[in-house]
Amino acid sequence: MIETMNKVVKGFCVGLIVIAAALVPACRSKKAPPAPKVAPTETTASVPNVPTVATTTETRVTNPPDFVQTQTTPQVTVEQLPTDVEELNRVAEQRGYLQDAFYAYDESTLTPDAQAALTASATWLKQNSQYNMLIEGHCDERGTEQYNLALGDRRANSAKEYIVALGIDANRIRTVSYGEERPFDPGHDEAAWAKNRRAHLVIVGK
Amino acid sequence: MKRLALLALFATSLHAQTQIRPEITKQQAATIVRIAVPRPETTLPLDAIEAPFFGPLTRDLAASGVFAIAPIPPNIPPNADLAKAAGADFVLALRITPDAQDDIVEARLVDPTGATQFGRRYRGTPAALSRMAHMLANDLVREMTGKTGIFLSQIAFASNRSGYYEIWLMDWDGSNQRQITNHRALAILPSWSPDNDRMVYTLFSGGRSEMYIINRRGGGRIHVQTGVGLNVSATFSPMSNDIAFVGSIAGNPDIYVVRDDSTNLRRLTTSYSIESTPEWSPNGRQISFTSGRSGTPQIYLMDAEGTNVQRLSFEGEWNDDATWSPSGEEVAYTSRVNGRFQIRIANVITRQSRIIAGEGSNEQPAWSPDGRWIAFQSNRSGRCQIFRMRTDGTDPSQLTFAGENKEPDWSKKSE
Repeated sequence: MIETMNKVVKGFCVGLIVIAAALVPACRSKKAPPAPKVAPTETTASVPNVPTVATTTETRVTNPPDFVQTQTTPQVTVEQLPTDVEELNRVAEQRGYLQDAFYAYDESTLTPDAQAALTASATWLKQNSQYNMLIEGHCDERGTEQYNLALGDRRANSAKEYIVALGIDANRIRTVSYGEERPFDPGHDEAAWAKNRRAHLVIVGK
Repeated sequence: MKRLALLALFATSLHAQTQIRPEITKQQAATIVRIAVPRPETTLPLDAIEAPFFGPLTRDLAASGVFAIAPIPPNIPPNADLAKAAGADFVLALRITPDAQDDIVEARLVDPTGATQFGRRYRGTPAALSRMAHMLANDLVREMTGKTGIFLSQIAFASNRSGYYEIWLMDWDGSNQRQITNHRALAILPSWSPDNDRMVYTLFSGGRSEMYIINRRGGGRIHVQTGVGLNVSATFSPMSNDIAFVGSIAGNPDIYVVRDDSTNLRRLTTSYSIESTPEWSPNGRQISFTSGRSGTPQIYLMDAEGTNVQRLSFEGEWNDDATWSPSGEEVAYTSRVNGRFQIRIANVITRQSRIIAGEGSNEQPAWSPDGRWIAFQSNRSGRCQIFRMRTDGTDPSQLTFAGENKEPDWSKKSE
C-alpha cells in the first residue's frame, strides 16, 4: 500500500517535472514583457493538485528542482545570439529586431512606418546595450551621385536622431552615407527605388 | 520682369568682381588650318611607327579643332609641291631616325612657298614614341593658337572593373587605362590638383568615408582629417593649398574648406538645407555648389569666403555636378529635363544656358584643359561609361568599355 502510494507520489513528482519541463519552453518563447514571465501565482496554481493525493500518510513532496530554477533565474529573456557579426545582422534582420527606415523620393523626413521601424529597433537596442550600430543612408538612382551622398547623410542622421530620442546613447551609433553607390535592388523601377531609399541599420560589434 | 532686372543687377556686379577679359581669345579667332601629313621618312619598319606614332599623331591633329587633315595625292615628296597638290596650308614633313637606343623625330611645317614655319626635334626610346607624337601635336596647336594642345592631358575616373570601385587614369583619347588605387573597398570622386601632381578622392572603408590625397611623385597616401562626416566631392583650390568638400555635422551637409595638411577647417555654408558638390572657379575667387534650399537641387555661386550667394540655375528640376570652364565664363552641370539627365552649359554672366548631351542619361561633366571638350558619364550604351564630346555636343566617343565607369575629372593642364 505504502509502496503503491510511493509510486503514486513518485508518479506525481515525475508528472510535476514533466509539467514543469513543458512550461519552460512555453515561457521562453514568450518574449515581451520580460519581467512577469513566470508569475508566482502560476506555481501555486499547480500545487492545489497536491492535497487530493496527500490525504494519505505520505506527504513527502519535493519541489521539482527544474521548476524552482526557472522561477529564480531570468533565463527566459536571454537569447542565443550569434557571435559572428554578419550572422548576427542576418538574425537581427530576419527576426525584425532591427528594422530599416524607408523614405519618400528626395526626402529625409520619417514617415509613420519609418518611425515604427525605428521604434522597434530602439526597443531591441535598449535590451541589447552591448551592441554598437552603424546607420547607412541610401538613395535611389534617380538623383545625381554627389547630391545623393549628401541626401543619404541626412537620411542616416534622421534615423539616428529618432533612435537617440528614444533613449539610445548617441555614442553607440555612427552614420555613413553611401548615396546611390550600394543599391539593395539593382532594378530600375519604382519597386526597386523604394527599396533603395533607406536608412539601413547594421550592428558593428560590441 | 522683376527677375530680369535682378539678373541684370547680378550680371553687372559679377562682371565687376571676376574681371572677365573682354578680348577674343586666339583659340576662338583661329580658323581651321589644312595640313597634309604624309607618313614619316624612316628606315624603321612601318609597323614600328604606325601604331605608336603616326596613328596617335593624326588622331590628335584631327581632333584638335585647329587642323583639318588634307587627303594626300600619291607619289609627291613632302615639300611645297605636296602642299599645293593637296590644297593644304602646310605639309608636316616627318623623319624618324634610329640613333643607338633612341629614335629621333624631326618635324617641319612647310608652306606652299617652301618656307619652313615650324621645326622641332624630339628624342626618346621607342617606348616613348606615342608621347613624342602627343608632344608634337601639342606644339603644333600652340604654334597656331598660342595655347598648348590637350594631347598629354589625362582623365581620372572611378571604375569597378576590378570588382571594386577604384581610381583609374587614362590618356585623353581613352588609351593607356590603368588602375592607381587598390583599396578593394569603395574609392570614388577623384579630383586633380592644379599642378597635375596630386589627386584627392573619397574612400569608403570600415563604415566611414574619408578624403585621401595621392601624389604621383611618391610620399604615399595622405589622409585628410577633417573631424566632420561625409568628406565627399573634394576639390583642390587652383590658388592655394585649400580643399573644398562636402562635410556634415549631425546630418547637415554643408560646403567646407580644409587645408591639405588637415588644418584650418572652415564652414562656408550654414543653411539647414542640403549643400553639395563644390567647385572652384579657375581664378579661385568663387565656388559653385548645389543646394536644395529652394526645394529642388539647384546650382549656386558664392565668393570663396562663403559670402554673396547667387542662384545660377533656374531651368531643370534637378541640377548638380557644376564645373567651371577653364576661361571661367561658363559652368557645365548635370540637369534633369523631362526625367532624363543632360549636360547643360550656362554662361556665368548672362545665366543663359543650353543643353549639349544626346542619348541616354548623362551626368558629371568635366572640361578639357583647353575648354573644347567635355568628358561625362552616360548610360547610352547600356552600363555607365565615360564619353567625350565637343562643347557643342558633336563628335561623341566612348572612352571606357570594361565594367562600369564614372565621375571623370580631366587634368587641369596638358603637362
